[in-house]
Amino acid sequence: MGSEVTDETNGWQEAWEAAENGAVAVMDCHEEIPCNPCQEACPNGAIRVEPHVCALPRLDPGACNGCGRCVALCPGMAVFLLDRRERNGFARVTVPYEMGGKPVEGDVVQVVDGEGKALTEGKILKVRAWGGEAPTLLLTVRVPEEVALKVRGVRYRLIELDEGLEVENAPPLLDYPICRCEDVSLQNVRETLRSGVRSLLTLRRATRVGLGYCQGLFCQSSLREELAAAAGREAWKMGSFRVRPPVRPVKLGRLGGENA
Amino acid sequence: MPEVMSSEVVVIGGGVIGAAIAYYLCREGAEVMIVEEDDLASGASGACDGFVSLQTKAPGPHLRLAMESAQLFPELAEDLDVDIEYRRCGGLLLATSQEQMKELRGRAKALKAEGLEVEILAAGDVKDFLPEVGKEVKGGSYCPLDARVNPISLTLGLAKKAQEMGATILRGCKVENIVVTNNRVREVHTTAGSIHSRRVVCAAGVGSNQIGKMIIVDVPVLPQRGQILVTESREPVLKTLVAGAEYLGTKANIQALMPADAESAKLGLGFTAEQTASGNLLLGSTREFVGFDNQTTPEAMNAIARNALRYLPWVEDMDVIRSFAGLRPCSPDGLPILGTIKGIRGFYLATGHSGDGICLAPVTGVTISELVLDGETSLDIAPFSLYRFK
Ligand SMILES: Cc1cc2nc3c(=O)[nH]c(=O)nc-3n(C[C@H](O)[C@H](O)[C@H](O)COP(=O)(O)OP(=O)(O)OC[C@H]3O[C@@H](n4cnc5c(N)ncnc54)[C@H](O)[C@@H]3O)c2cc1C
Ligand code: SF4
Ligand code: SF4
Repeated sequence: MGSEVTDETNGWQEAWEAAENGAVAVMDCHEEIPCNPCQEACPNGAIRVEPHVCALPRLDPGACNGCGRCVALCPGMAVFLLDRRERNGFARVTVPYEMGGKPVEGDVVQVVDGEGKALTEGKILKVRAWGGEAPTLLLTVRVPEEVALKVRGVRYRLIELDEGLEVENAPPLLDYPICRCEDVSLQNVRETLRSGVRSLLTLRRATRVGLGYCQGLFCQSSLREELAAAAGREAWKMGSFRVRPPVRPVKLGRLGGENA
Repeated sequence: MPEVMSSEVVVIGGGVIGAAIAYYLCREGAEVMIVEEDDLASGASGACDGFVSLQTKAPGPHLRLAMESAQLFPELAEDLDVDIEYRRCGGLLLATSQEQMKELRGRAKALKAEGLEVEILAAGDVKDFLPEVGKEVKGGSYCPLDARVNPISLTLGLAKKAQEMGATILRGCKVENIVVTNNRVREVHTTAGSIHSRRVVCAAGVGSNQIGKMIIVDVPVLPQRGQILVTESREPVLKTLVAGAEYLGTKANIQALMPADAESAKLGLGFTAEQTASGNLLLGSTREFVGFDNQTTPEAMNAIARNALRYLPWVEDMDVIRSFAGLRPCSPDGLPILGTIKGIRGFYLATGHSGDGICLAPVTGVTISELVLDGETSLDIAPFSLYRFK
């Protein structure tokens, strides 16, 4: 029983306390999703996906030094960093950022929750890039402590046309990778939909969306919305990605082991 | 009221075979309609490997057909707007016993006699092609002309180009009946209405037996399930196609190359590995007759993984991220069924490609297009006639 309760909160209480001394990772991974890059990412072995391949990732806050690798490498954007060292009612939260535009330190941005609802505004304290050709940006923003655990992303304030701003100033959101695992952009998906694709599986065959680590668990709902918007009532068959075993990646050696 | 449509030629099936036939027909200026029950590449062509392998073909007409097909790929890669990821990467066939080596030597000789370049490799030479091989591997054969292609891109690319040249593609439209009067095909009844046509090509894969029944002809095509494991994407680690000799054994029914243990024999287990352009390894595969069930099974996944470790032990630390299964349109001898039907004019069979449909798609497209439009083919397809089985 006891361990179940901790599973649900994913060690947040410990993380919250540890954050008083500096940045620490907070895992917001709730589903039995098929991946464990966070474990591989951590140079300090602070994240474990154990004891079986279907377990949720667990963080040992004592071993975490807040480097942020896991934040950048989790394909589900399910990890963020919390830092409460200011101890003045404000916390620093570090989240991945993959929308268009070039965020710079000092920008004031909208801070949003998991559903994209604005929580507050905050100033970007730090921008770091992680990864090679198409790096993930890690943005550290300063927010009131009471919303800190709800923060899942930032966005630039929607540019309102009646404010007289040029449309060109809007960040090119179409570059946004709707499928992070295979790096398929929203633009690519929309173009493919325009060519007459009418089911999720066809969309997958044409663009590779949903073919990566997560087997479409993360992108499926956004793809459905895109599909419904493009196909509307004529969608003769939307279908769904069939999640094929293994539900989570498993090492080949383990799958082929004698007692597997 | 469903509308009445018409087309010079109707192609039943939007797999790689139907798409290739439509493409080559359109190149000759024919008016073509593809009727596909589900969607393009929804059948075997969307759930398979991409081997364009020559050394796994039987010496004789089968090999000649495949060699002809292989020659058509470079031009297709040029002409299609989609990148079909065609690479002449070479292919290895690995033996795990001296008996298998002996059999491979004999075959290599026969293949060479027909003009195919094949090289016999000792265990030490295999290491030139692979990072590391399992201890059981005793050597193998290498064919530099073996190639790989992305089967889905190939199917979609062919269909797209055919469409640009004027073909109509009806998706989500099932053929339910074919009307024959005075010994000639006249009409195709579909769930979207009826299509007047005097020429109908059956490229329906595992649905071909059902199509045959509509004109009272027994088309002996059975679904044969093949399962595949997909690993995470990695930097290029496999330069060539790799298959175990047992793959050839279960494919071509060669006794000397059958898997040794009963469980593997039952699954029709034979090792295949290729690395896709996106970096994933595809590890196969099985040959099972389980009707139209295209689910993957834990037993097969375990067996494929175990088998893969025998040949390529270094895959051990790779993540398996997915599995899939496809249904090969299997004919009794594993060779395609191409040609006309006795007593019914205007009906053409292009099915039963078994485990070779991707490789044989271009040549099938050219040949059937010739047959439909000219009534004769430049390549002799008599060995692939339906009537060889009677
Ligand atoms: C695991 C596996 C690995 C393989 N590896 C290779 C390989 O490496 N190299 C190779 O060359 N080949 C390979 N193959 C074989 C290859 O996939 C097939 O031979 C090939 O895809 C067959 O193509 P097709 O167009 O005949 O059939 P399909 O792709 O199955 O297409 C037939 C289409 O017809 C449609 N249809 C059926 N009935 C009807 C109807 N009544 N009305 C309308 N439409 C209908 C279906 O919906 C389907 O889309 C492999 C197969 C499997 C399963
Ligand atoms: S922030 Fe760094 S140290 Fe902490 S869990 Fe993530 S990867 Fe490990
Ligand atoms: S989504 Fe994957 S990488 Fe991210 S925290 Fe969960 S298990 Fe780790």
